[in-house]
Amino acid sequence: MAAPSGRWRRALGGGPTAVAVLLFAAMYAVYAARTETATTVFGITNLLNDGIVLAIASAGLTLVVLAGEFDLSGVAVIAVCNCVVATISTFGDFGWLVALLAVLAIGGAAGLLNGLLVAGLGLQSLAATIGTMIAAEGVALLILSAPGGTVADVIADSLTGDIRSVVPVAAVILAGLCLAWMVLKRTRFGIALYAAGTDAAAARLSGIDVPRTKLKAFVLAGLCYGAAGYMLSAQTGTGDPRASDALLLFMYASVAIGGTSLMGGRGGAFGSIAGAGILTVMQKMLFALGVAEFYTNVFNGVIMIVALVIGNASAAVAQRMRRRAA
Amino acid sequence: MSDSAVPMEAEGGRRRMPPEILPALGVLACTGLLIGLIKLVSPGTVLLAQVSAILVSAIFLAVASFGQGLAILLGGIDLSIGVVMGLGGMMISGLTNGSNDALIWAMPATLACCAGIGLVNGLGIALIGIPPFIMTLASATSFFGVGLGLTAGAAQAPVAPGLETLMSARGLGVPWPIWLLLGFAVIAIAFQNGSVTGRRLYALGSSPGAARVAGLPIGGLTVAAYGLSGLCAGLAGVLLAGYSSAATLTMGDPFLLPTIAAVVIGGARVTGGRGIYLGTLAGALFLSTLETLITVLSLSQGLRDLIQGVIIITALIAQNRPGANPG
Amino acid sequence: MSDSVPSVVGPSAGSVLDLRAIGKRYGATVALQDVSLTLLPGEICGLLGENGAGKSTLVKALSGVVTPDTGEMYVGGAPYRPRNVLDARAFGVATAFQELSLVPTLSVAVNLFLPQPGINRLHMIARRRVEQEAKAILGAHGIRDIPPATLVGDLSLGMRQRVEIVRALWRQPRILLLDEPTAALADRDWLFAQVAAAVGWGASVLYISHKLDEVRRLCGRCVILRNGRKVRDAAVAAMSDDDIFSSMAGRSVVETFVAVPPAIRPGPPMLRATGLRGPGVDDVSFSLAPGEILGVAGLEGQGQARLFQSLIGLHPLQSGRIEMRGKPAALRSPRAARRHGVVLVPEERKTEGIFKDLTTVANISLPVIARAARLRLISRRAERRLVEPITEAVDLSPRTLKLPIAALSGGNQQKAVLARALASGARCLLLFDPTRGVDVGAKQSIYRMIQGFAAAGGAVLFYSTELDELVHLCDRCLVIYRNRIAGEVPREALSQEHILALASGAGPSGQGAAMELAG
Repeated sequence: MAAPSGRWRRALGGGPTAVAVLLFAAMYAVYAARTETATTVFGITNLLNDGIVLAIASAGLTLVVLAGEFDLSGVAVIAVCNCVVATISTFGDFGWLVALLAVLAIGGAAGLLNGLLVAGLGLQSLAATIGTMIAAEGVALLILSAPGGTVADVIADSLTGDIRSVVPVAAVILAGLCLAWMVLKRTRFGIALYAAGTDAAAARLSGIDVPRTKLKAFVLAGLCYGAAGYMLSAQTGTGDPRASDALLLFMYASVAIGGTSLMGGRGGAFGSIAGAGILTVMQKMLFALGVAEFYTNVFNGVIMIVALVIGNASAAVAQRMRRRAA
Repeated sequence: MSDSAVPMEAEGGRRRMPPEILPALGVLACTGLLIGLIKLVSPGTVLLAQVSAILVSAIFLAVASFGQGLAILLGGIDLSIGVVMGLGGMMISGLTNGSNDALIWAMPATLACCAGIGLVNGLGIALIGIPPFIMTLASATSFFGVGLGLTAGAAQAPVAPGLETLMSARGLGVPWPIWLLLGFAVIAIAFQNGSVTGRRLYALGSSPGAARVAGLPIGGLTVAAYGLSGLCAGLAGVLLAGYSSAATLTMGDPFLLPTIAAVVIGGARVTGGRGIYLGTLAGALFLSTLETLITVLSLSQGLRDLIQGVIIITALIAQNRPGANPG
Repeated sequence: MSDSVPSVVGPSAGSVLDLRAIGKRYGATVALQDVSLTLLPGEICGLLGENGAGKSTLVKALSGVVTPDTGEMYVGGAPYRPRNVLDARAFGVATAFQELSLVPTLSVAVNLFLPQPGINRLHMIARRRVEQEAKAILGAHGIRDIPPATLVGDLSLGMRQRVEIVRALWRQPRILLLDEPTAALADRDWLFAQVAAAVGWGASVLYISHKLDEVRRLCGRCVILRNGRKVRDAAVAAMSDDDIFSSMAGRSVVETFVAVPPAIRPGPPMLRATGLRGPGVDDVSFSLAPGEILGVAGLEGQGQARLFQSLIGLHPLQSGRIEMRGKPAALRSPRAARRHGVVLVPEERKTEGIFKDLTTVANISLPVIARAARLRLISRRAERRLVEPITEAVDLSPRTLKLPIAALSGGNQQKAVLARALASGARCLLLFDPTRGVDVGAKQSIYRMIQGFAAAGGAVLFYSTELDELVHLCDRCLVIYRNRIAGEVPREALSQEHILALASGAGPSGQGAAMELAG
């Protein structure tokens, strides 16, 4: 009984991911057919650069969602980091390093704050992170009251280009992200994360420190937002204090498309990274097809709902299959 | 409706004072302190005129926050309010095109459309089971796109002059918006704490499990709450268009997060089931006063956001303290 | 406390576990009060009590899940204040929880070692090694049919229970807490062998069970809790079944019931269910006459909860027919059921019974609130007039009406839930364990209300974990076993023994029927 049900589950667990890969391929084909440079190194680098901010941010968000919580502060934290990089990275030869350390510190601190509020004080995560989101938006505005500032060239050059004109830097970073997730998922923390999101009460009775696990998830997510803010700065070369609502929606869309349950405990960061890829290619495809901006907006909202509906449906199917197998 | 509402309210107040009234009064007192502070930092202001100006500027937030309060009463949230406000403003100016006569049909049409967006939110949440913050964020993005497609961002048409007059004229020596705010508050309180639907909304927000077993119309109530939220956002947008004489699609955006702040400051519980409009109203007045103070002190808008965020978190911590969860 | 006879109290010196005057409150509810208890080395001590007597809270306090408000605990003479399960484990205290604390999405192997499964140099879980070790541990405890790599969620309930017990056992704790270890376990001999082995290495066992025969077989001594207090601490052999019974219930059982003549009326049945099938409901048929109180009995988790929920449409039924007064009725949702006069008083009072932020009067008037409104606006005076006669029927004091329902005692909350059912015009009440966690006085009121409702022509389907209630209140009793109706006990033959024999799946004359205590 156990062995076949295990195989079923693995196949079904891969179900949403398989759909995601197919979708990605289809949209990439449309995009490539319309854009000549799409398949060149330049085109691929371009695509990866467009998607990497979302990929890093939604990978971080995935940790929080897996633990059974929400985090709305991500985009605002990214904006703060962007403003910081645009402000300090041009000071001296090591401005880029100072800026990198600064954004990681800011991201980590924001995550720590969220974690303390949610895991330490037991506040509802949605409301608490809306609080930190508004506060962070304020901080971004205090750093830069209007779009502006400059990002050190060294950051933009080294993070957006190719290594020896062959391997895009963004691809290396993505690979590192995937590797980090692969390890993290199999550590004790990873186990605790899934356990806390699946059944917090059982996790606690099993000796898992649920609040600490959630706190760590928020901090790691914050570090990811910091890194995403750094990458965003490298892309744009300037600072913008206004956080974009669309990015927030895209982060949750990536997570949902990637098959992570918003109830926690099911899914993973690979899916979210793939989801980010799908959304990026979708934007590229819509642009290549010459779809007007307002339709793109409509599409973005609809795809979020569709992703969730598919996610719900596949979870229901998986459950039914498992019940039948058991 | 409003005439029968007044005695209702009095009776409710006499019989049993909801525990939320005290924090609401506290927030009102803080608002008073802030107004005193404004007087202190700029002695030139006339107190009465200042209060009147704050009340007028608070109406948009106060109206939109009522809808947010209903969503939060059900343990949800409505992140589409900003976009709906923008759409409402754009629509009323587009439809009336500077003519007062068109107001008669344009007004209901606009409000119906905005309520319709709310209905879509409610249906997605109640029928498909999408988390409210995602459903409303997604519908906001989509409908923003629709609005962008139809109008290209800024209204080319002027707002009906009647609406502008409404927002600037006085009745009995008091600006009309203040009368409107008063009337709205009476209706809102009567609905939320006096009506059958309001009672059922409290019940559903308080114990969704019990509501299911007791056979409350859960889907209908959810759709109604989000529909009303859309309606209120639309109304706020229409008033804002009249106030600023020119509507833009993004003019509602700065109001979205303050609606949440107003509700939370007003003592509503974010997980649902608790909160009164008087508190939300107090929260809206407080935030509007804060805004005025920041303007008077010519401080950065960033500081406003920062303070708002800190206040929300403080309010959450404060209301978390007494209800320590057992087990 | 006058009837508490602590006849045997173990000496504190030399005890492995020593609890002194432990107290714990949740808000207004006292879960534990002044409970002292000792465990001697190698001793198996039974812990008995009705539902809500405080057994679970005591287990949780001992395993570090809740912190007692008052009192002290000592393990091996050292002060013992565990803040979590790991602290408890460090003191050699291990627990197999009743609610099963395994994480369903993790493998059996990882669950056995939580929260610290073995890792490799990269800090990743060493899966192969962990599974090998798990296999060895399971094998050492006589389990060979559960592959360690299986997800716990894919195991049957009985298998999970065994894994749960092994997880508590394999570290060879000094103190072993077993909370209802046979609730889902068919193979009791396996458990008894494990307990014997634990005693063999010197462990002391606190054995919490409903089943008196298990307690008699395993335990030398037993402690009885009632309403959060310890009322007995004596050698099992020195107590008769009746002794134990009345210590747990705190009263002579029979005297609290007032016998009334059956009120069953002729005519078409109020509710007739034919061949109901669905998830957790297997071919259930029964008929309920007006004026009848039909009991439902069953051990924990035999599908009774699902049946009650399915009857009001909370879960879809796949097939079967329901008739009300001879006419087909589609009870597809709680609303539809209410329109037909079928109302459920659910098991989970806190989450499904009461609306915790509303006042008591609002809780009761909710289904009919529109009747107290004009132009959709509620008149509070009309609302009170609507509610007051009903509160009399359930003995609810009028002064509770204005209070938030969360401020009431469990008994009064339950009366309010019943009052709401009556207010909504129910003709057929589905009562799921309505006296759980309710004080004696409120129980009396609830019995009276049930009998009065039936006498007025209402029909009652009544599930209770307290068999004496079923025996004394019901006109007949259905017994559920594994999602089916295993049998029916007619009024003449209603007795606890008879019900229990059916409930444990043994049939009326079967052997080895569990002697289940009330509760």
